[in-house]
Amino acid sequence: MRGAFKKNSFIERSLKGVFLVFKDSVLSEEQASYPGFLQSIDPRVKTATFLLLCIAVLIARNIYLLIFLYLFCLSLACVSRVSLRFFIKRTWVFIPLFSLLIAIPALFSFISPGEPLFSFKLFGLGLVITRPGLAGAVLFVARVATSVSLVILLGLTTRHATLLRVLRVFKVPQIFVMVLGMTYRYIYLFTEIVEHTYLAIKSRTGGLIHYKKGQSIVAWSIANLWQRSFKLNEDVYGAMLSRGYTGEPVLLEGFRSSLKDWVWFCSVAIIFVFIILSKIWMS
Amino acid sequence: MDELIFKLNNVHFSYLHKYPALCGIDMEISKGEKIAILGANGSGKSTLLQLLDALIFPHKGRVEAFGRELNETDFNAASFCRDFRSKVGLVFQNPDIQLFCSTVKEDILFGPLQLGLDRLRIKQKMDAIVEDLGIADLLERSPHQLSVGEKRKVSIATILIIEPEVILLDEPTAGLDPQTARHIMDIIIEANASGKTIITATHDLHIVEEIADTAYILNRQKQIAKRGPVGELLLDEELLKSHNLTHIHKHRHKDEVHIHPHQHIDHHQH
Repeated sequence: MRGAFKKNSFIERSLKGVFLVFKDSVLSEEQASYPGFLQSIDPRVKTATFLLLCIAVLIARNIYLLIFLYLFCLSLACVSRVSLRFFIKRTWVFIPLFSLLIAIPALFSFISPGEPLFSFKLFGLGLVITRPGLAGAVLFVARVATSVSLVILLGLTTRHATLLRVLRVFKVPQIFVMVLGMTYRYIYLFTEIVEHTYLAIKSRTGGLIHYKKGQSIVAWSIANLWQRSFKLNEDVYGAMLSRGYTGEPVLLEGFRSSLKDWVWFCSVAIIFVFIILSKIWMS
Repeated sequence: MDELIFKLNNVHFSYLHKYPALCGIDMEISKGEKIAILGANGSGKSTLLQLLDALIFPHKGRVEAFGRELNETDFNAASFCRDFRSKVGLVFQNPDIQLFCSTVKEDILFGPLQLGLDRLRIKQKMDAIVEDLGIADLLERSPHQLSVGEKRKVSIATILIIEPEVILLDEPTAGLDPQTARHIMDIIIEANASGKTIITATHDLHIVEEIADTAYILNRQKQIAKRGPVGELLLDEELLKSHNLTHIHKHRHKDEVHIHPHQHIDHHQH
């Protein structure tokens, strides 16, 4: 009856993937505490300037400007003591995901007509890559790569909790910021519970289990996790009340900007203005 | 006469009105006392602490704190709530409940910020407390990155910064290595020496003599089985055994295997 048994490799792989993401996230928190350039900038100013740079990337239509912005981003990573290898690896994982599905069809003449560069046959269908198609696809990939790099660099050089606090500057209600923070805090705890539950099941059942029993165990684990989270929710609310919470949280923002932050802000603003002006001149 | 802080009169509490957790509790606790609440698992120790912290309210009987009966509606008044919360602090058994913010610093500051204390004063107090507890390097870390001992110290810091008159501690040394447990006990003793009332729920008898002068033993019927000076209660082996506070200890003396009831105190006699 071996056919009636299934390996839980899918569940195992998924859980391992989730744990890896969390561990990776913890590692990136470490990078946020390095004594680098971006880490020393006031998080509010840093977020605002990265927002400006992202807008600049969206506006820029010149590949050289995009390459300049991408190299600027890489140099920022260097002076912020972020490992360039780790940073590039992390960035380029996302780029095919966001760009290839759109960029590849844009290469061909049926989407971007123009001067043909290269033609070939696929399943009897004649395909032509055009110059405007290639230029558009390169511009698109460069834009995605630079935007993703900027966002990842902001995440790597700023603690997640601090990024949440920055939301207050953009007038996000305190309760929302607090709930987000608590979600982030407890997701680790629940991941640990799931990991331990899975290991406990595995230690008692071995690697193989009948799929019906497996379904029942998974359903029980989900119910158990829900029950635990419900209990935790009640207890945490008690702990908040105990320390004076009355429904309107008061949070400390505690940001302080210095001359260095404003010099950085002005430098980014100059780049932003230059890109806007270049767009005007080109058009 | 010493200033009375808590007075409990025939207090009953049950979960979902079905499962009794406390049955007919009478207690009087005065300012500056060191009290231990002893009992086996499930005897109602944590429930009693939550009642004293006004997180739950009795279904029958009276709980008085600082000369006033505690009831749920009074806590809707912001001034009363703030006054009570600044006088009584509870350190939960599970630090993952106590530490709900994104960073240690936010957790320590949460209480005083809610209570509307002056921000400069909060900062000064935080600096002093983290220095005392040796947790200054943890401030920017997330609670999930801490060890159990560190979490426990931070939990205590979240209460000490409020400077409450009464500190309630639920199993403060559970699961800690001896050195960290010793540090926690020193913090408790120091807090009492500075005039704070300390009420500790525990079943760890080897810390009781140091952190309490008076003990209450809760039984399986969720009642107070006995109250008295800690020294006296710890000598009553039958009483401790009947409330699951001792265990049968088996060990070897040279070639002879020796079995006897064992209390969790530092020096036991053979």
